[in-house]
Amino acid sequence: MIIMKLKKIFWLCLFVLMAGCTDFLQKDPQGNLTQASFPISASDALQATNAVYAAVRDWYYNSGGYPILDIMSDDAYKGSNTNDQLSTVGAYDNFTFTSTGDGLDRWWATLYQGIRWANVVIEKVSTISMDTTLRNRYVGEARFLRGLFYFDLVRAWGGVPEVTSADPPLHLGRASSEEIYSLIISDLQYAETHLTKKSDLSSSDQGRATVGAADALLARVYLFRKDFTNAEKYALKVIQSNEYSLEPRFIDANGVNGNNGVESVFEVGALGVEDFEGGGAQYANTQGVRGSPNRGWGFNRPSVDLRKSFEPGDPRLKGTIIDLGDTIDGVFIKGDPDPANDPVIILNANNDTINIQCYNRKVWTPGKDTPTQWAHHRRLIRYADVLLMASEALNENGKPTDALVYLNQVRSRARGGNISVLPDVTIIDISQLRIKILNERRHELAMEGHRFWDLVRTGNAQLVLGPLGFVTGKHELLPIHQSEIDISQGSLTQNPNY
Amino acid sequence: MKKLPFLLIFLGFCVSPVWAQQTITGTIVDENTQPLPGVTVVVKHTQRGTFSEKAGNYTISATANDTLVFIMVGMATQTIPVAGRTIVNVKLLVETQLVPEVVVIGYGTVRKSDLTGSVASIKSIDLTKITSLNPEQGLQGKVTGVQVTSTSGAPGALPTVRIRGVGTFNNSSPIYVVDGVILDDISFLSSEDIASMEILKDASSTAIYGSRGANGVILVTTKAGEKGEGKATFSYSGEYSQQVLAKQIDLLSGKGYATVVNEIIPTYNNVDLVPNTNWQSLIFHPAPMMSHQISASGATESTLYYVSIGYFKQEGIVDKSSYERITFQLNNTYTLTKNIKLGSFLSITPYKQQNAPNVTYSAYRARPDLLPYKPDGSFSEVFNVGNPLADLAYSNNHNKGIRGVGNLFAEATILKNFTAKTSFGVDASYNQSVSFTPAYFVSPQQQNLLNTLNKGDSHNVTWLWENTLTFNKEFGDQSINVVAGYTMQEASSENFSMTGKNIIRTSSNFWYFNPNYIYDPNNGVNTLGSISNGVDPNQNFSMISYLGRANYVYKSKYILTATYRRDGSSKFSAGNRYGNFPSFAAGWVVNKESFMKKFPSISNLKVRASWGIIGNDKIPYDKQYSLTETMVTVLGNPPSANSATTYAVSGNPNLKWEGTTQSDAGLEIGLLKDKLTGEFDYYNRVTRDILIPLSTPDYLGNGQGAKVDFNAASVKNSGFESKITWKSKIQQVWYSVSVLGSTIKNKVLKVGGSSGIDSVLYGGYLANGIPVTQSRVGLPIGAFYGYKTNGLFQTQADLDAYPHLSTATPGDLRLVDVNNDGKIDGNDRTNIGSPIPKFILGVNLQASYKGIDFSLDIQGIYGNKIFNAKEVVRPDPYNWEKHVLNAWTGPGTTNSEPKASYGGNNYLPSDKFIQDGSFTRLRNVTLGYTLPSNYSKKVAIKQLRIYVKGSNIFTLARFTGYTPEIGSSDVLSNGIDYGTYPVTSVYSFGVNVTF
Repeated sequence: MIIMKLKKIFWLCLFVLMAGCTDFLQKDPQGNLTQASFPISASDALQATNAVYAAVRDWYYNSGGYPILDIMSDDAYKGSNTNDQLSTVGAYDNFTFTSTGDGLDRWWATLYQGIRWANVVIEKVSTISMDTTLRNRYVGEARFLRGLFYFDLVRAWGGVPEVTSADPPLHLGRASSEEIYSLIISDLQYAETHLTKKSDLSSSDQGRATVGAADALLARVYLFRKDFTNAEKYALKVIQSNEYSLEPRFIDANGVNGNNGVESVFEVGALGVEDFEGGGAQYANTQGVRGSPNRGWGFNRPSVDLRKSFEPGDPRLKGTIIDLGDTIDGVFIKGDPDPANDPVIILNANNDTINIQCYNRKVWTPGKDTPTQWAHHRRLIRYADVLLMASEALNENGKPTDALVYLNQVRSRARGGNISVLPDVTIIDISQLRIKILNERRHELAMEGHRFWDLVRTGNAQLVLGPLGFVTGKHELLPIHQSEIDISQGSLTQNPNY
Repeated sequence: MKKLPFLLIFLGFCVSPVWAQQTITGTIVDENTQPLPGVTVVVKHTQRGTFSEKAGNYTISATANDTLVFIMVGMATQTIPVAGRTIVNVKLLVETQLVPEVVVIGYGTVRKSDLTGSVASIKSIDLTKITSLNPEQGLQGKVTGVQVTSTSGAPGALPTVRIRGVGTFNNSSPIYVVDGVILDDISFLSSEDIASMEILKDASSTAIYGSRGANGVILVTTKAGEKGEGKATFSYSGEYSQQVLAKQIDLLSGKGYATVVNEIIPTYNNVDLVPNTNWQSLIFHPAPMMSHQISASGATESTLYYVSIGYFKQEGIVDKSSYERITFQLNNTYTLTKNIKLGSFLSITPYKQQNAPNVTYSAYRARPDLLPYKPDGSFSEVFNVGNPLADLAYSNNHNKGIRGVGNLFAEATILKNFTAKTSFGVDASYNQSVSFTPAYFVSPQQQNLLNTLNKGDSHNVTWLWENTLTFNKEFGDQSINVVAGYTMQEASSENFSMTGKNIIRTSSNFWYFNPNYIYDPNNGVNTLGSISNGVDPNQNFSMISYLGRANYVYKSKYILTATYRRDGSSKFSAGNRYGNFPSFAAGWVVNKESFMKKFPSISNLKVRASWGIIGNDKIPYDKQYSLTETMVTVLGNPPSANSATTYAVSGNPNLKWEGTTQSDAGLEIGLLKDKLTGEFDYYNRVTRDILIPLSTPDYLGNGQGAKVDFNAASVKNSGFESKITWKSKIQQVWYSVSVLGSTIKNKVLKVGGSSGIDSVLYGGYLANGIPVTQSRVGLPIGAFYGYKTNGLFQTQADLDAYPHLSTATPGDLRLVDVNNDGKIDGNDRTNIGSPIPKFILGVNLQASYKGIDFSLDIQGIYGNKIFNAKEVVRPDPYNWEKHVLNAWTGPGTTNSEPKASYGGNNYLPSDKFIQDGSFTRLRNVTLGYTLPSNYSKKVAIKQLRIYVKGSNIFTLARFTGYTPEIGSSDVLSNGIDYGTYPVTSVYSFGVNVTF
């Protein structure tokens, strides 16, 4: 009897347990929000907006990690020791890269990751009920950054998949470059209407996108598309806002003293820690002095061609190039100590100097060790560039005298008070002034990722880069990485001749 | 339970005076009435004993009330009272015939003859043979279809176990069930505490474990106490070993290095004057290992108990590596009433470990022409690699913790045929790690500016509650055994870690996080960085299961088994949680049939077959969810870190169970009264819906290299297993020889495909990001992937005649244009070998003569390849292996060794770096001696055995690395030598004492 009762109780307990057990198999994520529950509040909106800026600090944002835009141009060569990344990054020196080229997948993937994070704000924050001005500002910041990312994509690859949602469909094909430019311009115009001026930003908000940044980027986009009317309009808008001016010293334009300074229109903030998670940026470390002092890997070294192109006495040469034997901020530059592997001078068969071991001065940060390089704030847009864009657009619009005003402002700062160098330009012949401005851009903005696009958009790439291996009809664009083409299973087609 | 024999050798003295002693004589024969010489005859509770002589006769003095014990190795001991007789004749039978062997299977035990599944059983004596803290090592070469690989020789490293091939792309390891507790590893157990291990291999035997059984199940039963003579038995075992590096790698000396460098670019004027540093000799040195264990076991009317405490310590052959462990084992069983039994099994293991940095790889690459120290005694600069001695000197990486595994059960017999059992098991562990790097400067490439402290804590608790009801009935010729059960399991965990820089003092007294003592020396701001706190994604799940099995035996000849299990897992979203896993098996004991009486020499003949489906869910718990991630954004002037949150990689809410369909057919045969036995199995397993991470299009915005999990792959493993054993004796030497052979064929059937994304899986990434394995349809998992080579280009004419890289010159490797498109590029990479062996061999020899015992284990693995990854990644000048001395120096000098270079084209992943991984290894040799019991009894010792043994002392292999045993827990990076801690040869001596 007792046995029967025990058996009954046993089975009853079991049934009760099993009935109440359905929740037992639910294990929610611990310490982590699901995408369905974020962002939903005003403070979530701020968090989501902040995240989009992290994309520009990512090492891969910089053309996949290595500065291949400068390496493809006549400004720089691969760098580091002779064997390091010879088959991967070295392929960009002489245009022998293919659709499996190094870094192409990293750059593309990181730009789209930035676009997704921007879409989280644009798509989701706009539905949060909070203060409208602030909400529009957040969305404006995200749209500025999305415009920046798409501009990088469309210049490098042409028409690309157009993604405006955080959860896009599979099997998207390539939109036309026209459609992408429409998207960029509408994003930037929204941004410039809803963002604040730089002078209105609090000190803790410095580094966020501003009206001036949106206008300057619009000028750059229109200039690339040869829409000189609009380029002139937006460049002048930035100039006439009186929000910006040139740093008195050229080296401060990119240097630590000019961080968030008067010349900075849009820059990437960073802290001196040796990892991305902690706030550091590896852009400068990749190009830092190799060996002694140990500041980095020493890639992207200024070329002999760049060195020779400066006008006599142009102080910007030493403001762009670090040579072995220099002393900067009290630190002696000895360079890479391994002569067998990283010679000081590379000669060709005829004993001509092909390259010299030297480094990019514009990413230098003072200090004692490698982590200080991670604190370098990369300038994505600076005022000198805006002045030169204005000058170029004005010249193209038939106003060479106005063009000269802004051109000479740049030269005047470069002079650094030494009146015997860099005399003011007085040319008013439009085609001659055009060449002069192109060269001025090279000397002012060398090693900053502009040269390659300047050559391509002005139609000078074949002339200047042909000897290095540039082929017209092919190398104006980069190939979409083969793995992305393979995964698309036919939805994406490759760029011509790759 | 008879252990392998301790022959008692008596010199035939009878001493002590007794009352009314008579002379007892008799003849001892075997079951064929052949006389048995050398049988030990002992008068119980005395010290009198003798041997039987050639005709099987013996003579001994005993009283009428005494009991005689007849003992012989390989025969069942008989205890016969004198009972007033003067002639006592005895017939001794071979051991196996008397005691029906019982095998532990999931949720029960079964007679071996009634078994329909493929199960291998290993007794404890075989497990304590190998010198190691890991009992799994004792399985290697003993069980067909099982491959145990040591992935690293570092103290405390766990081996990788594979049963019947590699079944899935994820976790391919079997599960362990220790006294009913389901675990992923048995690192906390001492080999001495294990009574037996059963390895369940096929679907029928593993089906009862349903979801977890897909890669095989290893059942471990710890010692429970023996019903002896009422007195407790104490025993002590101690062992001391010396580990040595089996062989060094043949690297160039200082002179050889200088010679090769001069071929690249003339640098050294006189190569004979170049200094020579053998870095391997500097970092490796012999190291000791020891273990001690004391145990007590016994039984009373209503209790069985086994208690033990053990200590193990291993120093590594590299400095700053060691492992120390104490094991407590406490097992009790109480019979409360005739029908109710209670019991508990408990293991508690505290441990301490120190981990060395990877100086093995540094020593391999370091230039031999550099001296280790500067003239002033400080560490010298070793370009591009760092000074390995400095790495060791500045390393402080420890972890310690405690692991407890226990089980409490109650069992009740109801109505004679029903048994109800409930058991509750817990696996809990706590681990703390500390790593401190002081500030130091050796060279600009090897320095640390601020001292760094990193500490982490983690704990895991898993509980398992199982309830079963078993029905057992025999009626007439039939017997039925039915089990039904319900189980629940939950795992939870948490970890926490912090890093800080520049602590105020460097001694270990200060390795704590007080923000005021951890600061930036320039401005006093505290430098507490990176805090991380979360759960372990592999230890956060719950499971509910329903299980049932019925076993039917008719006339002890015909056996049928049916099993069903239904599992619900929290790792999948509602709707996909439950999986159903059925299985069927049948067996026929042929030799019991009447027609088999014509073949009396066939003592056993059984055929069996099984089929079943088993599942697997071993993925992190959060793969079903789409989560967010947090990061830092730097804004503001002065710049500061701002928090940010956004979307992380999307999850897949449609994930479901992986399923393996497995069929097995087996034959067991025994001849000449089981002197010669054989077991043969053929198996075929196909795993479908394998959960694998696949690449998604980059424009989805998941980030570079992001992957999402899908059920999108299939793999097939099939093979043939055989084991043949011969047991016999020559004169007084008893011996047995076992030969095991297994074949494995592994093939990927599907990758990606219908999900529209990915049709290959890459793995085996080198330090420069290049993958060297590619798993795709038709090849084994983790097949090597690279260029094929075909000699060298000897002249420019050779270059012009064949497609080549734009930078190729005479003396370079000729890479084969596999796709015949006229150029050499990434598309010419192809399958260049497989890390999965084609054939596994084991040979075991055991012999004993009087008190001496000897055993020998040989292990062989054939048909697998190894990728010598440590040689391939060369961004800077490093040392080379010796074969580089034969480098090409001009046309015709060689057609296999390309011209010397620091790096570049000749170091692209190709078949040049694929080596034959086959090897034959003398895994274990043991020689032991058991002291005659009349000597040991003088000091109250029941039995004393001393032994010497050697492990891994001889290997025949072609591989040039430290050891050809290269495994990996990551199945996509299998068989790749990245430069890991070498496995050693071990020489030991030890003692076992029973009181």
